[in-house]
Amino acid sequence: MQHQLTKEDWIDMFRQSGMTEDQMKKWHHTFEKNHPEGHKAFLSWLRIPPEEIVEIRDNSK
Amino acid sequence: MAAASAAATISKQMKTYSISQLAGLFGLSRSTLLYYDRIGLLIPSDRSKAGYRLYTQRDHDRLGQICTFRNTGVALAEIKKMLASDNTPSEKILENRLLEIGQQIANLKSQQQVIIRLLKEMTRDVYGPAIDKQMWVKMFQAAGMDEPAMMKWHAEFESRSPDAHHDFLISLGISQIEAEDIRCRSRRLLNKSR
Repeated sequence: MQHQLTKEDWIDMFRQSGMTEDQMKKWHHTFEKNHPEGHKAFLSWLRIPPEEIVEIRDNSK
Repeated sequence: MAAASAAATISKQMKTYSISQLAGLFGLSRSTLLYYDRIGLLIPSDRSKAGYRLYTQRDHDRLGQICTFRNTGVALAEIKKMLASDNTPSEKILENRLLEIGQQIANLKSQQQVIIRLLKEMTRDVYGPAIDKQMWVKMFQAAGMDEPAMMKWHAEFESRSPDAHHDFLISLGISQIEAEDIRCRSRRLLNKSR
């Protein structure tokens, strides 16, 4: 699936739909806990650089 | 009678080809033969009275050898050397060519590997891991997003990038009909909020 969505777009979409920072953290945490590989794939789909992906996933644990 | 027969024999021995005839016989262009002449690879043995190139049977046979060597990919300069010498240098040239081909195959294989790796990286762009709609909804719920918030998220997605929204829904295993329904509701919500 080709797309041009960035991490910023995604965060903005979450914000616009009323998600708070805490809720976003919780969402990452659930994603990482329940589907670690899916979480990783999702983050690279947003074209986040690998080193940042590692950081986000570490913070989600 | 005898004289006529002798003349025929001579004419057969002296059979010559014009440049176009010879080129045609080998499926080459005239300019190729002109080039071979210029670099001294195949110089026509004779000229007509008007000065046109005339190729003899020997020239014809030499061109046959040139074509055979061309099929090995050996450079024209090397072919010239091969034709000028007995077998020993020719063997060396062919051996070198064989080594060269081996090297090229190795290079191509390594290019093949790089392409495979690049394509794999590119397709990683495709978000299709085993995350389905239910998992996605559960994660939203765990984060405290309720149904209206999720709908709002769809609307945001639809307004930003309808195509990506569509592809995303499909990647979650949602049917075309349901995806269309979600997008329709997203657009309605967008229109309402405007």
